[in-house]
Amino acid sequence: MEFEPTIVSFLCNWCSYTGADLAGTSRLKYAHNIRIIRTMCSGRVDPTFVLESFKKGADGILICGCHPGDCHYHEGNYKCLRRYHLLKKYIKQMGIEPERLHLEWISASEGKQFAELVDRFTGSIRELGPSRIKEVVNTLS
Amino acid sequence: MEEVRIGVYVCWCGNNIAKMVDVQDVAMEVETLPNVVIARDYKYMCSDPGQDLIISDIKKHRLNRVVVSACSPRIHELTFRKALEHAGLNPYMFEMANIREHVSWVHNDREEATRKAKSLVAAAINRVCWHESLEKRSVEINPATLIIGGGISGITAALEIADAGKQVYLVEKSAQLGGFASKMCLTSPFMYSTTQMIRAKINKVMNNPNIQVLLNTQIEELSGYLGNFTTTVSEDGRDLELKFGNIIVTIGLKAFDPSVIENYKYGILPDVVTSLEFEGMLKAGKIETRDGRIPRHVAVIHCVGSRNATYHDYCSRLCCKNALKYANMVRAAIPGANIFEMYADMRAMGNGCEELYSVTSKKNVMFLMFDQHNGLPEIRKAGPKDNCDMIIELDEKLSGERIEVPADLVILMVAIEAHEEAKRLAQVTGVSMCGNQFFIERHPKLDPVATTTDGVYVAGSCQAPKDIPDSVAQARAAAARVLCTISKGNVEVEVTTAEVNEDRCCGCQTCISVCPYTAITFDEEKSVSVVNEVLCKGCGTCGSTCPTGAIRAQHFTDLQILSQIDGLLEKSMELKEV
Amino acid sequence: MATRVDPTFFKSLEKFGVKDWKDCYHCGNCTANCPLTEEDTLFPRKTIRQAQMGLKDKLISNTDLWMCYFCGDCTKTCPREANPCEIMRSIRRYQTSVYDWTGLSKKLYTSAAWEIAVIVGIGIIILALFGLFLPPSAELWSNPARFINAQGGVMINNLVDGISGSKFLYIIHYGDWVMALIAGGLLISNIFRMFYLTLWRDTSVRIPLTAYVTEFWRLVYHFLTQPKLRKCDDKSYWLGHITLMTGYTIMFILIVALLPVFQTEEIVPWYNWQRILGYYATFGILVFLIPVIVGRFRKRQCKLKHTHPTDWHFIIMLGLTALSGIAVHIFRLSGMPLETYFSYVIHLAILVPMILIEVPFTKWSHLAYRPFAIYIKALKRAAGRREEAPIPQFA
Repeated sequence: MEFEPTIVSFLCNWCSYTGADLAGTSRLKYAHNIRIIRTMCSGRVDPTFVLESFKKGADGILICGCHPGDCHYHEGNYKCLRRYHLLKKYIKQMGIEPERLHLEWISASEGKQFAELVDRFTGSIRELGPSRIKEVVNTLS
Repeated sequence: MEEVRIGVYVCWCGNNIAKMVDVQDVAMEVETLPNVVIARDYKYMCSDPGQDLIISDIKKHRLNRVVVSACSPRIHELTFRKALEHAGLNPYMFEMANIREHVSWVHNDREEATRKAKSLVAAAINRVCWHESLEKRSVEINPATLIIGGGISGITAALEIADAGKQVYLVEKSAQLGGFASKMCLTSPFMYSTTQMIRAKINKVMNNPNIQVLLNTQIEELSGYLGNFTTTVSEDGRDLELKFGNIIVTIGLKAFDPSVIENYKYGILPDVVTSLEFEGMLKAGKIETRDGRIPRHVAVIHCVGSRNATYHDYCSRLCCKNALKYANMVRAAIPGANIFEMYADMRAMGNGCEELYSVTSKKNVMFLMFDQHNGLPEIRKAGPKDNCDMIIELDEKLSGERIEVPADLVILMVAIEAHEEAKRLAQVTGVSMCGNQFFIERHPKLDPVATTTDGVYVAGSCQAPKDIPDSVAQARAAAARVLCTISKGNVEVEVTTAEVNEDRCCGCQTCISVCPYTAITFDEEKSVSVVNEVLCKGCGTCGSTCPTGAIRAQHFTDLQILSQIDGLLEKSMELKEV
Repeated sequence: MATRVDPTFFKSLEKFGVKDWKDCYHCGNCTANCPLTEEDTLFPRKTIRQAQMGLKDKLISNTDLWMCYFCGDCTKTCPREANPCEIMRSIRRYQTSVYDWTGLSKKLYTSAAWEIAVIVGIGIIILALFGLFLPPSAELWSNPARFINAQGGVMINNLVDGISGSKFLYIIHYGDWVMALIAGGLLISNIFRMFYLTLWRDTSVRIPLTAYVTEFWRLVYHFLTQPKLRKCDDKSYWLGHITLMTGYTIMFILIVALLPVFQTEEIVPWYNWQRILGYYATFGILVFLIPVIVGRFRKRQCKLKHTHPTDWHFIIMLGLTALSGIAVHIFRLSGMPLETYFSYVIHLAILVPMILIEVPFTKWSHLAYRPFAIYIKALKRAAGRREEAPIPQFA
């Protein structure tokens, strides 16, 4: 059986979550592997959310926020971007492929782009194979 | 802690969800989860019977948490919160799982879609366990209003508010009220005297006891928040402290400087004038060249600085109809003159403008189209044989010919730019600006006068190029919004704000540096951060930055989101193994 | 080189018919709708633009509008009711006057008084010539039976005392030649001027000499069959126009080249070729004329809504020529010599000014200008092709 990854996605309420809603109202089809969690702003995505998701078995994590300059809270997306670059380095040290974490800007009007992004990201995680970190954590504890 | 009793409701949404998700299976699956007292599926949860079902269950089963698995929370979260309130529950004891926009409408595989729906509902159930009751808060509104800018928009808004009996501080940078509109001669397309209109309005403002006009004054800094702003201005050398509840920014516009376009030789050839200078001529009552002759050929060039990738991409909106007005006025003043209108696109829209275009085109005015992208018209001094002062050379688009046009007077329809003070005032008031330095409204369609900063409104050309009727309409709309908050006396503020746990706060002040609303201040005495709940918008950035976890973003706490992740992944993994 | 615009130019065009030339805002519906536009023949919009902007030289050297047959479809679809068809007609009148070196054409088009005066003047000259040199025989009143031939018809060539039948015939015959030579000569000189203005004046265009020969067939082909008009949506228009053209041409040949066999002493039987051709020609002219007269009165069809004075003059002259010709024929067949003589004289007094005025100077000149414009266009295309021809590459 082909590997079906589990992907957790954090979407900001104002742009990306609405963009994902638009993909739905436009009846665009995309991979079923994604599970969406809503935050008010991409700046709210705490590093622990990402780490916890990996620990609990997520194979990939997708964070989406408003395009630069469009943030509902002025600059939360910039904060998220900074944190994202640090996190990528950090998870690499922990033995998680940095490609499993991805950040992209999706506006409220980009339903099509969102659907394409999900398919693309799911494809790349499927190629990477299942994440080992859950087993490692289980073994260690 | 009281016992958690959750009711779960899975919506069919007619066939929208039920077609792709086995809703009964979902309900059966989640009923076995801890704390779930009852799980039901129903055709339309958002309908009145659907809501009644929730309300009666809350009472019957003593539920204290509710999860609805249906459409996007952006659509019906408020509906269900109201239902909870109806049943006597705190509206925040509610969570929604989106299984329509994010599941049934975007997937094809019924089995996988059902699995995904189950995990999303499980996540919501896990999250709602940690929800807390939140109470609505409100702040009192100071009934005074500050209006920055004394143009037509500022004057209109001031009169509107003052007529309702409320205090207005009208601050103007220059020495007199009136703004750009007072520099115009007649309005287009209906040819009212702008001077008379403005003068009457200024008189009203000056004689209104509720309006305090502060000329030669600028707002340097501003403190406070919606309902309670404070600023200090200097009047006659002494400082004056103003307190007000709302601000309307109406700083207006600036005219484009055409001397940067070499083709037009503005400032080099004396009879190339801007539309504003021409308005001055019209007000003075004579159309003539610099050396006092009556021009035989008058050319009007449109889109000077507008709709041009090099200068401004946007359309300045007023120029076409004003240019048509000029053609009519020149024709009336000098019946024998040759009049040329050189345009890129005729964009005279709005009431009466197309009619003005038709009328003008019958008045022996030659309309010549040029292409913005393939070279602007070029003005040069005429030779002795040309029998005119200047020659304009251009590629005429409709005929495809390169032509020469004689001219004695050239009027450049200059673009409208953002005011030079816009950037500074955006920082002072916290209003966002677009790339062209115009202020951005809260919503381009549904909220065109408010800004993302509560209590600050915009009106007139500082938001985008506008004519007088649009500016007046927006000014009155802003005034109405302000009067609404004043008459209510208080406003509800965001409930889902951040909250500091003073015991945990180490005083590192990282949160202060990331807050986009300067809502967090530092209490030196206690050495902890303090959140101003009126200013806080609840984005949660501080919460994810705090190294000690002292800040909680209410309704999006770490605990709530982490349990949501747990629920989500546990269910996903469990279903995967099956 | 840039061309200078002339905002007063249209004032001079206004005299040729159209009054409202400013309405057009160049949406291009007319050009899109017209079945006759081609990639390099973008009328009416482009032609109207040249007129609006006063690009006089461009307009004069533009042969495009001769491709138009004025069906009126452009006017029907014009969203601004700018009446492109009528603007095109006015420009055609203007171009006709420009091609004419004598300047008479302009006078005739811009002043109805001038036109009437010239027509009446030539008519009076014809009447005077008959009165002075070919007066009616006195016996027409006293002894009309003398002029009746064996078939019971009038001996048409013997109605003047002292001039034999064959001599009378040849006087008229040579008179016709003189008329045809004057009209044709003027027309040919104007055609040369047309060539100069539209083709030769622009020295940058070099026409290959062979093209003059290889493209000549178009001139004849388009003159005879008018294939462009067949592309117009209203096919009946082509049928009417070609009937008129053939009828008119046949009649012209009958009276100028074949008068001795057409205007015979005896009445030939109806099935003889000259009579059949004569009937066909009369029929062709009337078939065209009657609907046009009705249409111009009713003003329902776009193409017939607006009528310039010269349009009426042309219709009246052609109609009267046909009617007086029919009258001569009827009087002749029914043996009424006196009536035959006078109707014959009146017939000529109408026909001669019509040919002399209409053919070289006004409306009728299009019979030559249009095929020549097509010829010129083909020559220009040939020159363009030669310029575009790939330069030989040597490896």
